[in-house]
Amino acid sequence: MSLQNIIIKLQEFWSQNGCYIASGYDTEVGAGTMTPDTFFKVLRKKHWEVAFWQPSRRPDDGRYAKNPNRVQKHNQFQVILKPAPDNGQSLFLKSLNHLGIDIRSHDIKFDEDNWASPSIGAWGVGWQVMCDGLEITQFTYFQQAGGIELNPNSLEITYGLERLAMFLDKRNNIYNLKWGHNVSYSELRTEEEKQFSIYNFEVANIDFLRNIFDQYKNEAERLIESNLYLPAYDYVLKCSHTFNILDARKAISTAERTTLIKTMRDLSHNIAKKYINGAEKKNG
Amino acid sequence: MADFLFELGIEEVPASEIKNIVFQLKDNFQTKLAETLVKFKSIEISATNRRFIIYISEISEKADDKEEQILGPSKKISIDENGQPTIALKKFMEFNNVILSDIVEIETKKGLYLCIHKVTEGPKAYDILCNIIPEILGKLTFSKTMLWNESRVPFIRPIRNILCLLNNQLIELEFAGIKSSKFINGHTTLSESLIEISSFKNYIEQLNKNFVIVKEKERDEKIINEITEVEYDLDVDVKIDDEMLNYYIYNNEYPVVFTGNFNKKYLELPSEIISTFMIKEKKLLPVYDKNNNLLNTFVGVSNIPDENHFVSNGNEKVIQATFEDAKFFWDNDLKDNFINLRENLKKVKFQNDLGTFFDKTERLNYLIELLVKETNNNHMYENIKQASCLCKNDLVTRMVREFPSLQGIMGGLYLKEMDSEEDLWKSVYGHYEPKGFTDKKLDHIGAGILSIADKIDNIAGFVSKGIKVSSSKDPYGIRRDTNAIIKVIIDFKMNFDLYKLIKLAAEKFTENEGDQKKLVSQLQKLFLSRIENIFRDLLNFRYDVVNSIINSHDILFAYKSFLKAKDVSKIVETDSINLLITLHKRLKNIIKGFNTFFISEDLLMGDEEKILFEIYKESKTEITELILSDNYIQACSKIIEMKPVIDNYFEKVLIMAEDNKIKENRIALLQKLDELLSKITDFSLIIESN
Repeated sequence: MSLQNIIIKLQEFWSQNGCYIASGYDTEVGAGTMTPDTFFKVLRKKHWEVAFWQPSRRPDDGRYAKNPNRVQKHNQFQVILKPAPDNGQSLFLKSLNHLGIDIRSHDIKFDEDNWASPSIGAWGVGWQVMCDGLEITQFTYFQQAGGIELNPNSLEITYGLERLAMFLDKRNNIYNLKWGHNVSYSELRTEEEKQFSIYNFEVANIDFLRNIFDQYKNEAERLIESNLYLPAYDYVLKCSHTFNILDARKAISTAERTTLIKTMRDLSHNIAKKYINGAEKKNG
Repeated sequence: MADFLFELGIEEVPASEIKNIVFQLKDNFQTKLAETLVKFKSIEISATNRRFIIYISEISEKADDKEEQILGPSKKISIDENGQPTIALKKFMEFNNVILSDIVEIETKKGLYLCIHKVTEGPKAYDILCNIIPEILGKLTFSKTMLWNESRVPFIRPIRNILCLLNNQLIELEFAGIKSSKFINGHTTLSESLIEISSFKNYIEQLNKNFVIVKEKERDEKIINEITEVEYDLDVDVKIDDEMLNYYIYNNEYPVVFTGNFNKKYLELPSEIISTFMIKEKKLLPVYDKNNNLLNTFVGVSNIPDENHFVSNGNEKVIQATFEDAKFFWDNDLKDNFINLRENLKKVKFQNDLGTFFDKTERLNYLIELLVKETNNNHMYENIKQASCLCKNDLVTRMVREFPSLQGIMGGLYLKEMDSEEDLWKSVYGHYEPKGFTDKKLDHIGAGILSIADKIDNIAGFVSKGIKVSSSKDPYGIRRDTNAIIKVIIDFKMNFDLYKLIKLAAEKFTENEGDQKKLVSQLQKLFLSRIENIFRDLLNFRYDVVNSIINSHDILFAYKSFLKAKDVSKIVETDSINLLITLHKRLKNIIKGFNTFFISEDLLMGDEEKILFEIYKESKTEITELILSDNYIQACSKIIEMKPVIDNYFEKVLIMAEDNKIKENRIALLQKLDELLSKITDFSLIIESN
């Protein structure tokens, strides 16, 4: 099955199960969790069911297009169900069935993996779902976002699309995947992976990145002051991506890492507070 | 008599937490049933990652009746002169709702009183269980909890069903928003809808049918048997430790062992890396040939039968990708100059308030001088010194950042790859080992020396910051590190005084002499208590032997103390022990309370005394030499040879002579004898044998 068919199938399944099908976010994010459709919406009381395809950047995971399943930009399919349903696990297993996976003849395990994204003050408790040893999904009960305890709790299901495709298409190598009609993953991504790996690990201008990190941070602070928490959050995302490149470039010491993460976490926390105040004023 | 069946159905609980929860459940159930006077025959608890099961057999259907005595007023004030009840008695009867015939007399310390025997009927087991189950579940503690539903009850993972049957009847209760029912879930993927349960027998049958092996022991045996089969079929060794076995047992309700292979080209990577990636990343077991060479085969445990080899094939693909990652880290780390990484340690904190790892390596560098000298390893000095500077460099490599358990090992491997001398890379490679007293012996003494330095620095640092070890808590591994030091000393027969090392380590964490003295004394106490504990509980020396050694000289020469304990343990099995005990006790009794005196030969009176002194002088040299060469058994025989002369002396000579000078001289002679015995051990603390 091609990647685009997997996306279509998942959209179909989750749409049938009551989700609104959103578009992915248009700023670099490390994971679907960081998108406003997740970060903000899990903070509200109101129920929220959303599903979307989200390209995600992890500069440190780049392998110059040489690793069979690790890339600096991969694709996630993100599902948020709020409140977390009682039958979340069986819904998820049904979605695998919908993709054509015979769950009775594969070793599907829920293996402890408590996900956390300290820079946006978010964490959850849950599992990585393994299918014959391959991690295909992250299954998490969201506990906090922006450093605020969530009530109600959301269930977050994050499929790794390339992983699913490799499994379904019985491929050993990510670059042998098909994206869609006559379009291969290799043709779409190989050059991009090479160039970004070189950039992230070798060429990225450290001084420049440090400088824009500070500027993004200042802008976010200014916007929080003006109650413009939505654009402020965009700048936190930009900080986070900049931080990730610096990290891949090995430019961040352990002590500095703690400080920078705290900077981002504080910004996220203030944004989350503003959002809750605003949302409560409007419709709760 | 009834039976009671309970299942808490839950989404996958981390394998590492399960034993702790089982323990708490068992403990809490037993306590609560005892408190509420419910009798039962046996209680069994088992668990998988998806269910906790409690089965109680022959549970009484109601609690025992409770009898109590309620004391009323004294007889004197209860009955008036006409023999009629007074107001006091009437009020008492009214309050307790009894009539006069219920009242009995009782003799107390304060005189004759009136009282009643009240019998309260025991409540039904149904009602008791209804109350105690939510209470027990609510009191469970976990290393981390979560919230998932409106009840806002924190628990380890979401609860999905509660089965609760007393005599096959549903007990209706609710916990964390989940109502009890007769339904359970089967295997995650191999069984579909909810299964209705009618009895314990039916429960076991249904689970068996639905691919759930309830008993831990059965899953354990199934895994071990299947692994043994693989070993036999392929003529290989599969390495599995307790942690991995526990993981497999609890992470699979229907464990099935499978094998797979990977491309041989990955065997070019160091085997330590390959096995770490297999175990930590993919939960697969490395496989070795009979000569302990790593093979391109792995073993894993699936939660379903793998008839079509889907699981095996899938894992084969995944493991190759994982090795590609390993190769990427390895190649990339090798691009850096490993030696230069030390500079980066200046930015890595060791522990709060204890400086950076660079500071730590400076301290290690200082400590190893003493250790190399004291253990006569001067020929390795340069290499161990360099190892002490470089041993933490791997903390800033990508591999160790990703897999902290490879610390030390990677440093060693990177140095080996640079063609460093064996004494250097092996010292770095092993210096985090051993992790306690029961670990295996290090294979290089350089690693042993660096390990001691690293650990005494940890211990002194943490203790100086006020961190304490309690019987249940040791978050900084102080006890473990202390045990490891004693282990290395004994393994490598290192004959040096730990006191010197303690003093040197303490220097770096204290600013004035007072603090230093305090820290040194805390550390001495720590080592003494660990030596005592290891000797008694891990080496199984008799407690009185350990007690006597602990109270003798030079205990902090840990290796010497170990040899003493070994020899004294042999001596206590012989007849001569009682002679030594009696002698030492007698000596100690007499000299107790006296200052130390010097012997003056001029004051020796009579033959008995002169002969004893002569024999003492002769034996002393011999015995001291025997002690120096750790030959305690012979040293004891020498003392026993002196015994008739000493006995004769006690018989013929009055120690407490009238002339003070003569008395003090005689005490001095006995003090010398006591000193000689005490060099071996304090025999007076050993229990005489019958």
